[in-house]
Amino acid sequence: MSAMTKSLRIVHLFPELLNLYGDSGNILVLRRRLAWRGLVADVAEVHVGERPSFADADIVFIGGGSDREQRIVCESLLAEQAELSSFVEDGGVLAAVCGGYQLLGHSYLMGDEKIEGLSLVDLYTDRGEPRLIGNVVVESPICDHPIVGYENHGGRTHLGEGVEPLGSVTYGHGNDGVTGQEGCLYKNVLGTYVHGPLLPKNPGVADYLLSRALERRYGNGELEPLDDAAELTANKSMYDRLMAGEVEEQ
Amino acid sequence: MSLPSAVASGAGRIVRWGLHDVLGRSASQLPGRVALAIDPNLIADLAPKVREGSVVVCGTNGKTTTNNVVASALEAAGKSVLCNRDGANMAAGVASALLSGPSADWAVIEADELSCVHILPGLRPTYLVLLNLFRDQLDRAGEIEHVQDSLVSALASSPETTLVACGDDPLCVGVARRAAAAGTRVLYFGIDEDLHLPADRVPEARFCQACGAELSYDWRAYAQMGAFSCPNCDFARPALDAAATGVSVSRSGVSFDAAGPLVGDPARLTAGFGGVYMVYNLLAAFVAARLAGVSANDFQHTLDTYRPENGRLQRFVVNGREVTLNLAKNPTGFNQNISLLQADERPKAVLFSINDNFNDGRDISWIWDVDFERLAAEKGLVALAGGTRAADVRVRLKYAGIDSAVTPAVEGALARVASLPADMPLYVLTNYSALWPAKATLERLGERHD
Repeated sequence: MSAMTKSLRIVHLFPELLNLYGDSGNILVLRRRLAWRGLVADVAEVHVGERPSFADADIVFIGGGSDREQRIVCESLLAEQAELSSFVEDGGVLAAVCGGYQLLGHSYLMGDEKIEGLSLVDLYTDRGEPRLIGNVVVESPICDHPIVGYENHGGRTHLGEGVEPLGSVTYGHGNDGVTGQEGCLYKNVLGTYVHGPLLPKNPGVADYLLSRALERRYGNGELEPLDDAAELTANKSMYDRLMAGEVEEQ
Repeated sequence: MSLPSAVASGAGRIVRWGLHDVLGRSASQLPGRVALAIDPNLIADLAPKVREGSVVVCGTNGKTTTNNVVASALEAAGKSVLCNRDGANMAAGVASALLSGPSADWAVIEADELSCVHILPGLRPTYLVLLNLFRDQLDRAGEIEHVQDSLVSALASSPETTLVACGDDPLCVGVARRAAAAGTRVLYFGIDEDLHLPADRVPEARFCQACGAELSYDWRAYAQMGAFSCPNCDFARPALDAAATGVSVSRSGVSFDAAGPLVGDPARLTAGFGGVYMVYNLLAAFVAARLAGVSANDFQHTLDTYRPENGRLQRFVVNGREVTLNLAKNPTGFNQNISLLQADERPKAVLFSINDNFNDGRDISWIWDVDFERLAAEKGLVALAGGTRAADVRVRLKYAGIDSAVTPAVEGALARVASLPADMPLYVLTNYSALWPAKATLERLGERHD
C-alpha cells in the first residue's frame, strides 16, 4: 500500500447482536465500493464486552437486533455516550438502521418500559399498533434514485425541531405512518427504518456516506463513478413493481 | 363425533372430492379450510380416527423430508398412516390430512412451527419432533424468541406429548428446558462426534438461552448445531438419548451409526441423498420410527427405496444434462446447499431463484446472510439469478465477487447452459413458491434420475 492510498476506518458495532436482517450486507457494500475505487476499508468489529473507540473512526454502523439484543447493546453504548456524541458533533459519519435508528434518540419503548437512548439526535420513539411491515420507498435529497427497501417496526419515531427526515415516504409507512417522513438526517448521522441491507440496491446512499467520510478525513469527498447498472436495475425493478401495485403487502 | 364436526368433515370431504376427483387438483388445504371454518374443534374431533398414536414433525428446515420418511417407514412396517406428505403444514393442511382417509393406525403430521399451537391442543400427538430452529421469514413469523414461546405454549396444551428435540441446537434445547420445567417428557437426539467441518456463519443462537453469555463450542456440525456449553451457567448440550457416530457425508449421500437408549441395538443407516443436515433429519426420523415400533431393517429399507417427490434434492436428466433441484429458503438452508455444491468437484452451473410471494416472505433481506462468498473461488462456476427478485440476487452475487446473468425461470437457465458441455451439472436452488413451477418444468422436459 502506498503512503498516498486513502483509507477509511469503519466501526461496525456489535455485528453478532445487531444482525437481524442481513445488516452485514451494508459493511460489505462499503468495503467493496471503496476497493473498486482503489481505496482501503479498515473495518473494526466491536464485540460484546469490548470498549469501542471512536477517536479514529470515519464511519460507524449500527444495525438492528431483537428487543433483548438491542437492550444489551444500548447498555454498553451508554457508557460510551460522551465519546460517541463528540464523534457525531465533529461531523463523524454514523449510519443506523431499524433498531439502531431508535437507539440514536432520547428514549424508546420496550414493551411498556421506557429505555434511555444515546441522545445523539433530537428524536424519541414510542409504540403504536399495528406493526408497520412492508416494502418502503423514500424520496431523499441525498441521492438521485429513490431509496427502496423493507421496514418492520412497532416503534413510532418523532423528530425534534431542526432534525431533517431522511426523506419522504412515497410507498410504505416511514417514521410513524402518519407524517409521511422517513428516517433522520442530522449533521452526518443517517437513521432509517429501511432495515437490513439498506445500501446494496441504494448505491447513492452508500456513496453519500463514503463521500461525507472522505470529505471529513481528507477534505475532498469526490468519488470516482462506478458501474451501478446491476444495483440500479434491482432498485428500479422493485420500485416499478411497488408503484404499479403489483406487490400485495401482508 | 359432534354434529358440527360431522357436518364439517362431510363438507371437507365434499370439497376434497370436488377438487381431487372432479377438477383433478391437489386437495392439500381447501377441504381442511372449509371444514375448520364450520368446526374450529375439528382436529380434536378427528384425532380419535388414529388408533395407535401420532407423530408431529416441526422445525425450520427439513420437516417435509423427515415427516415423509417417518410415514413411509411406518407403512413399510405394515401400518396405515394419515400424512400431509405435500407439506401443507398449517392447521387447514393438517385437518385435510386427517380427512383424507377413514381411519388409520398412525397420523404422521408435518406442522409449521407457529401452527403447532393450533394443532397440538386438538391432536394431542404422542410425539413432537423438533428438528431445528433457524431464522426464517421474520416478516411473517417474527423473531425466533416468538417462535420458541409459541412452541412452549403448544406443548403446555398437550401434556401427554413427548418432545423429541435436537440436543445439538441451543434454540431447541431452550424450548425443551422450558417445556420440561412445565412437565413435558423430553428426549434428545444429536451427533456425538466432531465432523471436522469448516465452520459456516452462525447467524443466531450464539448466546446462552438461560443467561445471555456467549456460548462456547467443542465442535460445530453446521450453523449453531454442535457440542455447546455456557461458560457462565449450566446451559449445555444435554446427554443424548439417541446419537449418531461414525458419520460419513459425501456427494453420494450420508451414512452413520445410530445408537442410544432410544434406539435399541445400534444400527448403521445409509441414504443416497443429503448433506450433514440430513444426518440430523434421518436420525430424528429413525428415533420417531423406532418409538412407533418400526424395526431398524424396515427403516433402512425405507431409505433404500425413498424417492424425494417434493422438489427436495430431486435429480433429473434434461437433454443429457444432470439437473438437481433443491429448496433453499433461508440462510441456513442456503448455506447447506452451498456446502453440497462445494462437495461436487465438477464445474457447474447454478440457478439461484428467489421469489417474494406471500409463502416465501416478502422480505428477502436474508440473502445478505448467505455465504455466497464461499462460491467465489469455484472454478468454472456459471451463476444465474432467477425469480421475482432476480435483480436483487444478481446484486448479492456481484458483491460476493460472482458475475451472474438474469434468467427468470428454469427454461431460461436450461437455454443458457445449452451450449456448455453436457457433463456440466445444473443446480436449481429455489425458495418456496419457485419450487413447484421449477419441478413441473423439469418433470416435463426431463426424466427422473435417482
